[in-house]
Amino acid sequence: MSDPSPLAGDFFSLLARHHASPLRVAASPDAPVQTQATTVFAFHFADGVLMGGDRRATAGNVIVTDCVDKVLELDAMSLLAIAGVPATAFEMARVLQTSFEYYRRSQLQSLSLPAKVRALARLLRENLPMTMQGIGVVMPVFAGVDQTVSPPAPQIYFYDPLGAQFHAVGYAASGSGAGTIRSVLSFQDRYGQPRPAQMNLRQAVQFALRLLMIASEFDSATGGVNPDAHTFATIKVLRGSGVETVSAEKQAELLKS
Amino acid sequence: MTEEPYRWLEAIGNRREYVREQLKGGSPVFAASLPDGILLLGVGTGHSKVFELFDRHAIAGLGHPADIEKIRQAAIDAAHLEAFNRAPEDVSLRRLVGFGLSPQLKTNFEQIFSAPFLVECLLAEVGAEPNQDLIARLHFDGAFQLHTKGVVVAASQSEAESAAQTWLNQTLAGKADRNGIVEALLEAWWCVTENKPFGDGLPSDAERRDGWRKAVNGRSIEVGWLVRKSTRRARYEELTPALSSL
Repeated sequence: MSDPSPLAGDFFSLLARHHASPLRVAASPDAPVQTQATTVFAFHFADGVLMGGDRRATAGNVIVTDCVDKVLELDAMSLLAIAGVPATAFEMARVLQTSFEYYRRSQLQSLSLPAKVRALARLLRENLPMTMQGIGVVMPVFAGVDQTVSPPAPQIYFYDPLGAQFHAVGYAASGSGAGTIRSVLSFQDRYGQPRPAQMNLRQAVQFALRLLMIASEFDSATGGVNPDAHTFATIKVLRGSGVETVSAEKQAELLKS
Repeated sequence: MTEEPYRWLEAIGNRREYVREQLKGGSPVFAASLPDGILLLGVGTGHSKVFELFDRHAIAGLGHPADIEKIRQAAIDAAHLEAFNRAPEDVSLRRLVGFGLSPQLKTNFEQIFSAPFLVECLLAEVGAEPNQDLIARLHFDGAFQLHTKGVVVAASQSEAESAAQTWLNQTLAGKADRNGIVEALLEAWWCVTENKPFGDGLPSDAERRDGWRKAVNGRSIEVGWLVRKSTRRARYEELTPALSSL
């Protein structure tokens, strides 16, 4: 019997047909210490959604590097912040990047926001065996643009390790430092002047950098921000018109002003 | 038995004639390598003729829409699998055409009991520098030519295609103004579709300008742009809305 044809525009089924599907590798109980621990977050500000993350990767008590980008551009209209085991998380990002672009190019239209949200949920569910063994857990934050409303509106989603998806009204955070900054975000959202949703870009970037400074004070696995050492965060902004990266130079400038 | 090869040759000859007859009247497509990127242009009547394939790749074709679609999908599948299994930088037009599309088209053309592909197309790959650009002219029988500069034309009649290509390369040498180049391509499109000569007897500037403007009524001009320098991985943009000023 011949292989079934892949579903039109579905890169997952194209991969399966060519026996190239990743994320189905069974984990060994003797697996090595994983590289993980993180603070990533996203919140609504006046122009759209700001997504940020520290740049540290650790394995146990060892700092592996302070140069990881945990906020990734999946396509022109969606961002993924990864927390958990990077090996699995980066592979998920790569699958989604290719999948979204494959759909857009082959079907001549972009994948809808709910479909993008579910595509990530599907990958998390497929990763369940690794998650259950405790060596492949990934808890991402996703931001995409809802094109069905006018003007197009950026939205934030967060997930549990089994793939359940939740719509975040104001903000979402993940990683080992998330507990700390969730409290700050909650406080700022309720009592702040201005509230995150009222902040302009300068205020939002300043707030994001301060969140990471606070997270790194309470979580040794979060890299934090150190302007004196020119160590900044990965910050990307998602608007209805697309993605903008806030460079380290611009972060330094905004932090000073 | 001894006459079988001759029958096969005759069948192939008939098939070639049939395909050329079917493609007659197809609207030509153009690709131009410019300092800032590669521009692709086609004039359609409802069906699209210019498409994005991958990060740095695009296709423009004429022929049966279903056959253009099959070529497009095959190229997109191959490019994305290659990029996923290796890296996006490993997707090259030379391999996509030479090892993927061309052998498939040739095999299909020589299978005399199956329907041939009714398609002529151009595939483009934008490089980091203009001298790294690549434009492939792919024919219905799998034959192809690679070009590294200038303007390349795909038309149903080889004589008109060659004449238009020569005229455009002479006319546009050293020019970089995108609107001016689009205008010249549309003039060449009009001359090819109206069987006007490119040598002696070439219509005047005013005739060509008026000619294409009248001829595109009821049709859609499609312009794709592969930008050379960008922070985005996907370099393809549709310029069609920006053409309203022409």
